[in-house]
Amino acid sequence: MMGYLSVALAVALAAFGSAYGQGIAARAAMEGTARQPEAAGDIRTTLILALAFIEALTLFSFVIAILLWTKIVV
Amino acid sequence: MDIAGRLQGVLEHVQPEVVFNLGSIPVTTTVVNTWIIMAILLPLAYLLTRRLSIVPRGAQHLLEMVAEFFYDLLESNMGKEGRKYLPLVGTLFIFILFLNLSWLIPGMKPPTTDLSTTVAFAVVTIVLVQIIGIRERGLWGYIKHFFQPNPFLFPLNLIEELVKPVSLSLRLFANMFGEKTVVAVLFLLIPLFVPVPVQILGIIMGLIQALVFSLLTVVYITSFVQGH
Repeated sequence: MMGYLSVALAVALAAFGSAYGQGIAARAAMEGTARQPEAAGDIRTTLILALAFIEALTLFSFVIAILLWTKIVV
Repeated sequence: MDIAGRLQGVLEHVQPEVVFNLGSIPVTTTVVNTWIIMAILLPLAYLLTRRLSIVPRGAQHLLEMVAEFFYDLLESNMGKEGRKYLPLVGTLFIFILFLNLSWLIPGMKPPTTDLSTTVAFAVVTIVLVQIIGIRERGLWGYIKHFFQPNPFLFPLNLIEELVKPVSLSLRLFANMFGEKTVVAVLFLLIPLFVPVPVQILGIIMGLIQALVFSLLTVVYITSFVQGH
């Protein structure tokens, strides 16, 4: 039972952290675009890059959670 | 309603199955799918570039859009000499894009959902980046690059260099594998309309991941060619 709890907790914590970080990144991108609309293309590319970086950490945790799941449930 | 049992089956289907054996090397479904995508890409590339004209017509617009995007990216990061890295970056982008989008062909599992493919991409790319770094700055300049801002940062730079293949491969693999697993589980639970938004999200994420892979390659090449 603790196995299931640990898997769920791992993914939940990772998702929370990633959502918070990506929200901050999106806010900064939108403020930058509002301040200078000509740079919208550059800001969009950098935003996508930053979002993928932040998402990657969540996905590492997801992969570990899947490995744990297949081991625990046998 | 053996949902738990079938859920189990979905999640244990992580290993690709062996289709046939070439001599003593097992060939899995992932490799066969990659061959199919290559068989689609190579004739397409040949046919689309046969009659190029100065004023673009038809499909040439699309090719020029992609090429121009990467030209601008390389030039804004590295200056004029960045243009010679366009084949590497462009090939990575288009190949990974087609591999990720092969979801749309019914019955095919994208080869990037297998860790082997993504690790191959990442290792080849990072080794190529090291070779480009040695060729551009010489062996001494390449080693000095690790001591660059501060000699005490040498272990950190080394570890960062070794972690790059891991993070590149895991990012691509985990995105694709997560999408595939979520869609498979949704098909088990509510097969009617609910998987469709998730599949659309999966296609968008496939495109973005291909873009991010090539963008990161450009960033890594820049950090080697131009110093910290």
